[in-house]
Amino acid sequence: MGLRLLIYLVILSIGGIIGYRDKVSEGLKARLNTIQNICLLFLLFIMGIRIGIDEKVISTFFSIGLKATIISIFTVSFSILFVHLISKYIIVKEDKIES
Amino acid sequence: MSLKIFISVILGIGAGYFFLPPTFFASTDIIIDIGLCLLLFFVGIDIGKHKDVFIKIKNIGFKILLVPLAVIIGSISGSIVAGIILRMPLNEAGAVGAGLGWYTLSSMLLANYSTELSALAFIANVVREIIALITIPMVAKYIGSLESIASCGATAMDTSLPVISEATDSQTTIIAFITGVICTMSVPLLLPMILKL
Repeated sequence: MGLRLLIYLVILSIGGIIGYRDKVSEGLKARLNTIQNICLLFLLFIMGIRIGIDEKVISTFFSIGLKATIISIFTVSFSILFVHLISKYIIVKEDKIES
Repeated sequence: MSLKIFISVILGIGAGYFFLPPTFFASTDIIIDIGLCLLLFFVGIDIGKHKDVFIKIKNIGFKILLVPLAVIIGSISGSIVAGIILRMPLNEAGAVGAGLGWYTLSSMLLANYSTELSALAFIANVVREIIALITIPMVAKYIGSLESIASCGATAMDTSLPVISEATDSQTTIIAFITGVICTMSVPLLLPMILKL
């Protein structure tokens, strides 16, 4: 996983530098978006295949859905709580108005 | 696009369940790896294009970076607490939360690790986006405008942004956008790191 993370970081950075320096021409930019979408949809299709092939996942699909819902409720609640805390104690109202 | 995403996943599930032999599973590993690298490259370009974000951060003040930080810490700790309740391995629960609402990338990053966790991350982050879109106006009205950004996570820079802009003011919208960009940058790095813990 360590090497994997490094590879992700390198690829992200190369993309980031290309995007930052505007090295992509306008025509290619529009096409890039389409390529990106096709690539994403194809990957999601493959991910779907993996879910479909995996008997264990299919048979527990509804319990996965329930687990997922519980996780997302906690994720959202805690995010709101933490932002509320920093908004109340660190970013005071004057900061917001001042800027 | 959302509809296309769902159709792709459902068609894939159908194809995998009805037509393809279990031996096909192994050959999808390399496809996911190559596709993921391509996807990350495009994500990098998208992030790089938003160069004005750094100027905006400087203008508003660096304190504003605490908002994405709180969103990230809140998301991960929330999913870990849910993981304790659901008796899940905490690194796996944390990784699902570290998806920060970006369901396509988070499920992809977990695809080679475990199909079950990948499906869980996909659904959990889709549900997060739905909860965000529904609750933004209420949270903005009754709790606070900054808090309304919290539920969106990475989606604060794209799908949720119009809703935030509608429910709050222009400054909150800029902060939401910055938060979304920073969350987006964090997912590909944070998720594998938490999974490794």
